[in-house]
Amino acid sequence: MTVAFRDVRKVFPDGTVALDGFNLTFESGEFVVLLGPSGSGKTTACRILAGLEQASNGTVEVDGRDVTDLPPRARGMSMVFQNYALYAHKSVYDNIAYPLRVRGWARGEIDGRVRAVARLVQIETLLGRRPRQLSGGEAQRVAVARALVWEPSICLMDEPLSNLDAILRLQTRTQLKRLHTELGTTFVFVTHDQEEAMTLGTRIAVLKDGRLVQFDTPRTIYHRPATRFVAEFIGRPAMNTIDGTIANGRFEAGDFTLPAPGRADGPVTLGIRPEHIGLRRAAAPETISFRLDVIEVVEPDMLLFVERGDVHLVVRTEAAPEGLGHDTEVHLAFPEDRLHLFATRDGARLAQGVPPAP
Amino acid sequence: MSRPWRMVALAVLIMVLVVALTPYLWLIMTSLKTRLDALADNPVWLFTPTFEHYPKIFIDKGYLPLVMNSLVVATASTAISLAVGVPAAYVFARHDFPGKEDLFFFFLTTRMAPPISVVVPMFLMFTYVGLIDTRLSVILAHSTFNLSLVVWMMRGFFADIPREIDEAAQMDGHTRAGMFLCVLLPLAAPGMAATAVLCFILSWNEFLYAFILVAFEGRTLTVGIPGLVTPHGTLWGQVAAVAVVATLPIIVFTFLVQRHLVRGLTFGAVKG
Amino acid sequence: MSGTKAGGGILDRSVGILFLTPSVGLLVVLLLGPFVYMVVISFTDLNFALPGHDGNFVGFDNYRHLMRDDPVFWSSFRTTLAFVFGVVSIEFLLGFALALLLFHHIRRRRVVLTLLLIPMMLAPVAVGLMWKLMLQGEFGMLTHYLRAIGLMGPQTALLGDYRLVLATVMAIDVWEWTPFVTLVVLAGLLALPREPFEAAIMDGAGPWRVFRDITVPLLRPIIALVLLLRGIDAFKEFDKVFILTGGGPGTATELLSIYTWRVNFRQWDLGYGAVSAFMVYLVVLILCAVFYKAVYWTEGSQKS
Repeated sequence: MTVAFRDVRKVFPDGTVALDGFNLTFESGEFVVLLGPSGSGKTTACRILAGLEQASNGTVEVDGRDVTDLPPRARGMSMVFQNYALYAHKSVYDNIAYPLRVRGWARGEIDGRVRAVARLVQIETLLGRRPRQLSGGEAQRVAVARALVWEPSICLMDEPLSNLDAILRLQTRTQLKRLHTELGTTFVFVTHDQEEAMTLGTRIAVLKDGRLVQFDTPRTIYHRPATRFVAEFIGRPAMNTIDGTIANGRFEAGDFTLPAPGRADGPVTLGIRPEHIGLRRAAAPETISFRLDVIEVVEPDMLLFVERGDVHLVVRTEAAPEGLGHDTEVHLAFPEDRLHLFATRDGARLAQGVPPAP
Repeated sequence: MSRPWRMVALAVLIMVLVVALTPYLWLIMTSLKTRLDALADNPVWLFTPTFEHYPKIFIDKGYLPLVMNSLVVATASTAISLAVGVPAAYVFARHDFPGKEDLFFFFLTTRMAPPISVVVPMFLMFTYVGLIDTRLSVILAHSTFNLSLVVWMMRGFFADIPREIDEAAQMDGHTRAGMFLCVLLPLAAPGMAATAVLCFILSWNEFLYAFILVAFEGRTLTVGIPGLVTPHGTLWGQVAAVAVVATLPIIVFTFLVQRHLVRGLTFGAVKG
Repeated sequence: MSGTKAGGGILDRSVGILFLTPSVGLLVVLLLGPFVYMVVISFTDLNFALPGHDGNFVGFDNYRHLMRDDPVFWSSFRTTLAFVFGVVSIEFLLGFALALLLFHHIRRRRVVLTLLLIPMMLAPVAVGLMWKLMLQGEFGMLTHYLRAIGLMGPQTALLGDYRLVLATVMAIDVWEWTPFVTLVVLAGLLALPREPFEAAIMDGAGPWRVFRDITVPLLRPIIALVLLLRGIDAFKEFDKVFILTGGGPGTATELLSIYTWRVNFRQWDLGYGAVSAFMVYLVVLILCAVFYKAVYWTEGSQKS
């Protein structure tokens, strides 16, 4: 079963263009993450898929069928809302049972299914409670249970983890991944948190300003970001980017220069992730010295904030030599296979042949 | 929102509006019709308007003082209710003390008190102190329900102001009273305005208290109406004119205060 | 949410007392006083029409008379109950429907709503007058059209027919107060969170199910509020009935408030009239207590 957005455009009554020329296709069984900053259109795309919003232009297809004008209940999808949207006046049991009651299931069947799905998300003991008696994490699981109880082919989730505290978020992330593996339901997950996207998704759709920027596996997005935006958005801390020029086979930004064989002359942006910059004990032919400004300890790693002229970088390293302090000189190596090059004008990826991680 | 349903909804709405507004329009028209037009066997919808009834009733028959009385009574009872009620509302919003909700309930019952039940002993009490047949008696009577309206409405408005404002004002050096006067009151001013308008409307429209407590001198506009309706020969043009003057200002005020109407009419339970 | 305990506790308390006393004092004098006085009078024979009846204590005589020998009071009580139940239920159903209509289908709600509110903002006396005008037996606009479409005979006048007059007065009350129900229910609808509705749609519920399973339960506090407020106000109804019919013809529309007025200010039987006034007060107080519980509920559930 294939789901496709074809040239979807959404303009809101006040004039904001939430989606523009949005194209996305994915298969059943995937865990698709819609990732982007606020205003990127990810939630709008999700709601248009659900049928809660109407696309201004373009179509949405499920399995070759045009569902653009169909109401939500004809689409075979369920949704987990950011604020859970539980029915405050119903018990947890009745909340979960509701989709089945609406579909006219028999009471015995409903009971069996509700308890089964409650076991799945580990809330069997909460069935008699009311929503206001639940903690955030519990409420979230009830919402998930309600969305899965009737075994939809597609389950949509609009930033379901955003309202949870950090620890709970990590736990629930694992639970969701497990659910996906066990049930095989197609998940469409909206988030602005790139870490969530990278751990959960089978494929990530990165959105910016209402457009799809890249749709790939987490690995590919990490190692071959299609644009500077994707490169900087993924990874924490963000990828270092240096604006400079290529001249005579070398990249130059002030007095920071690296070999760039076989490249055309012109303005480029160089990118390298903090974890890929090498820290050497002593100066060597391939190292460039920087001045250390600030050290942040993020066990088991360290973040070194260095500078050389106008170039400021962040280095992430596991083992740091002794005697590092403010104003110390550090020697950094920049492996050629870890460098990314982007066009300065539009941020599009230039580098070819940067192999995936070993 | 499918097309045909929208049409039906619109049609129903128009019918409802017609039903809601025609009676009042008819009243206004009657006040502008000649006696012949008003009493015609077949209802007259198109006619040449005349303003003759207005001076006849207000000047010739001396009903103008009634307008004055209504104005004075409404303004005064509003002023008293605000002056006394706003500080009380502040206390309910910000302080805790034993019996607070019971006292609040007491304020509620005063708003709900049936005028017919209150006016009987009040009539006697005012007669004994010589207040009967004065505007003051009506002003005081109206203050009974306006005061609790003020307390109930303003409690909500004060509660809407975050406590941090109080604390910031205190850090800035204000005393409790100063904080109330210089910081909170200005912030609550829009709420007070809405409450004041609502009090004014309720007092202006009130009938029973004014009817019983005043015989002639302090008559308000509403009291003037029944007197003009007699079994033999009511002068409809004139009485309609009185009714129009008694109601038209209120329409204007309603537009002004519409946003806060829900809060006032439901004792702050619904914010609207 | 207790009051700030930060310093100046004594100052707080004196400010609190200072701010509260005038209002409490005013209400004690103007309401509690009369209430007590009313109860006191009810035990006397005070009567301005009969000589010698200047307030002698008569114990429970008045109460006994009311309970046993006064069919007029009880008929008036029944009339009032019929009035209250009739108008409140009709106003509720119509007002609710109208609120739904405005909520779902109408764009410029503010303007429309303000126009719709006019009937309830007019002075009730004026409302009585304008309907009296329209229902007048000879030249009344409505009378004419009702006769024209055959609903009324040439001799009937709605306000003069003892079989139809109560229903007529109730219809006028419905005209006047349905907007109130609409206003409050609409405010309630607008305050409802959007998500449970979207969740229900995603769960597969159609419009009717959404209404039944989500809208109505979430509106329960508002519904209770409206029913009680209208119930209490309808029980106290006086102004427009007074000018429309004065309680007549006969006692067909003699609501409790009108009956009480008649006993006190026409018959000047103030001792007995105080009992009737007390009865009215009592019913309202009971309804008040119920209302407060409902309001407390609303505030409670809003807080949580």
